[in-house]
Amino acid sequence: MPNDETFFDRPIDRRSFIKGGMAFVSAATAMPPAFLRATFDDNSIPIAEVTTEAAAVIGRRVLVVLQMAGGNDGLNTVIPLNDRGYFSARPVLAQNPESTLPLEGGLAFNSVMTGMKRLWDERRMAVILGVGYPNPNRSHFRAMDIWHTASTTDVTGNGWIGRLMDTTAHEKDSAWRVANVGNELPRSLFADSVFVPTLSSIPSYVLSTDRRFPKDSYRRLQTFAQLNARYAQDLAIQAEYGGSLAFVSQTGFEAYQSTVTLQTEAKSYEAKAIYPNNPLAQAFKTAAALIMSRLGTGVVYITTGGFDTHSGQIAGQARLLQTVSDAVGTFYADLAAQDAADDVSTVMWTEFGRRVKENGSGGTDHGTATPMFVVGGGVTPGFYGDQPSTTSTDSNGDLKYTTDFRSVYASIIEQRFGVDATDVLGQSYRTLPLFA
Amino acid sequence: MALDTERQKIQHLLRRAGWGYSASELKEYLALGLQGSIDRLLTPESVDDSATEALVAGLTADPYQNRAALLTAWHLRIVSTKRPLLERMTYFWHDHFANSIDTVGSPAFMQVQNDLFRARAFGRFDEMLTAVSRDPAMMVFLDNRLNVRSAPNENYARELMELHTLGEGNVYTEKDIQEAARALTGWRITLESLTKEQLEAKRFPLPTGVVLVPSRFDSGRKTFLGITGNLNDQDIIRRLASLPETAEFVGAKLWRYFAVPDPTPEMLDRTTKAYFDSNYSMREVVRTILTSEEMYSDEAYRWRIKSPVEFVLGFLRSLGMVSATGRAISHTKAMNQVLYDPPGPQGWSKSGAGWIASSTMLARANFAYDVTRLDGPQGQVVDAPALLRTLGLTGSAGQIVDGLADLLVGGDLDGENRQTLIDYLGGETHFNFAEAQRAGTLHGVLYLMLCMPLAHLA
Repeated sequence: MPNDETFFDRPIDRRSFIKGGMAFVSAATAMPPAFLRATFDDNSIPIAEVTTEAAAVIGRRVLVVLQMAGGNDGLNTVIPLNDRGYFSARPVLAQNPESTLPLEGGLAFNSVMTGMKRLWDERRMAVILGVGYPNPNRSHFRAMDIWHTASTTDVTGNGWIGRLMDTTAHEKDSAWRVANVGNELPRSLFADSVFVPTLSSIPSYVLSTDRRFPKDSYRRLQTFAQLNARYAQDLAIQAEYGGSLAFVSQTGFEAYQSTVTLQTEAKSYEAKAIYPNNPLAQAFKTAAALIMSRLGTGVVYITTGGFDTHSGQIAGQARLLQTVSDAVGTFYADLAAQDAADDVSTVMWTEFGRRVKENGSGGTDHGTATPMFVVGGGVTPGFYGDQPSTTSTDSNGDLKYTTDFRSVYASIIEQRFGVDATDVLGQSYRTLPLFA
Repeated sequence: MALDTERQKIQHLLRRAGWGYSASELKEYLALGLQGSIDRLLTPESVDDSATEALVAGLTADPYQNRAALLTAWHLRIVSTKRPLLERMTYFWHDHFANSIDTVGSPAFMQVQNDLFRARAFGRFDEMLTAVSRDPAMMVFLDNRLNVRSAPNENYARELMELHTLGEGNVYTEKDIQEAARALTGWRITLESLTKEQLEAKRFPLPTGVVLVPSRFDSGRKTFLGITGNLNDQDIIRRLASLPETAEFVGAKLWRYFAVPDPTPEMLDRTTKAYFDSNYSMREVVRTILTSEEMYSDEAYRWRIKSPVEFVLGFLRSLGMVSATGRAISHTKAMNQVLYDPPGPQGWSKSGAGWIASSTMLARANFAYDVTRLDGPQGQVVDAPALLRTLGLTGSAGQIVDGLADLLVGGDLDGENRQTLIDYLGGETHFNFAEAQRAGTLHGVLYLMLCMPLAHLA
């Protein structure tokens, strides 16, 4: 089961962050500071000068991670046009080669993926073929945890991005160094020393107060911060009441701190592309807003779901792929107009591909290897890895992987973050020349 | 900290096996004592709940036809019911056999499934499995209606083992999934026929039953977890229900739901024994847990984080705000939970840690703000001064803080946080009820009580 007993598995040790926060609380005066007065005004986001601390980290490269949950059917995403095995295994689902969007080497995108095709044509995209790992697991939840933790054996620990952030943590890091767009923290972002704010949108990331009573509102929020900081900080109280109390307190306090930071330090942002009105595109818009807010954000994580196409796959997957492709395409159009496209790399993954042979319900059951996509900043475009055979399959009729997903992680860690991937992944994996 | 007094134990029981408590409800259960309270919770059929039925019947839209009404009907039950454990178990099964209306599409199917969970909440587990395998919403959600001899669909067979009975990779193999899928082939949903007017009104047809279509059923020989033959769905379910691993998997889930994060093997043995001794009765498994010592142990106390539905509806219940139930949908949504719309077949976060992120902590505080606003629409916000007068809490800041803590977080504030709240009210010596009412701090202290770390723990 995903996210079960999550924090019980990890020590809660983020007190240094809390200490800084207490200083803020006690230094507060009787009059509401500017950010609080601003929240009284219909929750509008104030524009403030960037602080020297945030300025110090501006210019850092940004990694956006898109998780496509449910198991995306890779064979109908990147279509092997010359593979007879594909067409014979999928009398109903095989894509009509005429309508696909040809790339090169006999491979083509699904016809709905015009946004991603444009990025490919602009030479901003790498496609890594046949990504998987040994002894694949076909359970969604186990497979996701394997990808989150980068381990096929112990999937209860911190995430690969969380470990990367722990490894590179710096005392001047912004509270927004890593941000999760959504409402639930994915295991990829579980870390020991780094707090990860989660937001569904910037306007909703506020503590509501009553503007008619500024003094009481300010006292309420101060008390809110004190009540939450206390349990998070006090080891004796934690021992007495247990980990859950410390966990909710700490998150409550960090929520308070990060909303203060967001509202006092965010630079204004105006989208320079029109994002479609769906949750995924809006999440990318929030990611762009965060990046352009110049809060020192280095990683943004976005999750979308619905790829578990056991039935009705033709229409269902087309809708999903189009939503993803349009959102990513719009995101890069916006970033390019903001002159930031070269700073931001996006990696897209799903927990497994699907069975080669279609089922009787116009869908496909759980499978194994599937492509990954890397877009944007610094990427060396083209194909990586080998397209797996649709006829020489494993005993379940599933594709044999040709590239380990941890090779992609290792390449990102080393080539974009300049960190020894072994420190993060626990062992060394062959890297691909993904980034220039 | 320990649960020392019977009052504390009953408050704890009502947070876990109920949905929190109002002052009058607590009084009723205290009069019954702990054992009497457990007995009453476990025998909902002996408790009159016609007032709740009347509330649900009074909805202007039909829950079988309208998505908002579907949600509101269940929210109303949770806020108003006199049978709180029955709704707790209904919620447990909704999560265990998690189906989403986004995939199922029909509120009629979802309400029929919810009726099933409520009717069989304390029944036999094998009968529950059979009913669920033939439940229209489940047949749509995990595709078993499409599972046919000519091309089996494994979706339901896989989750039946991974999520409903044995747990991931426990005992069974990929081959067992394929064989079970074959045995589960051939079922079709039958629907009421609609009149022309009903069709035009876009009525969601009610299911009338299911039928096995012989030509779609795979009658060949199958081998499943050690049994071989022309197996059908009943053979698969009987086999799964008879395995101790199933009793342990479901038992462990119930131990976590009601009591402790890590049930020991000995505790699992107890619920497994209750399961087999009672012919798979879930009432007896739950009774074993609620009457155990571990239920009231230090380990059980306040480890569990409330889901948004527990948090929002529980506080509306404690504050007697049935009329504010309509607002609950948008609030729980902002906290990442909408009933009938779990994130996938695995259901929602089990430990509760998955509910807590900075965005959802802000959403929880903003719910507290919304229900404690000054001058909000009548019935939609708490009249804090009136509530405090009803509770007899008007004398001092300390009395108000202690009284609200007893009602909303089961008492047990540590001294420093108690003092922080008293200070917020202006301090013990300077407190004046009328002045606090004018300044809005009576609403404020209620807001802060709902934002306290303890408020998130069951």
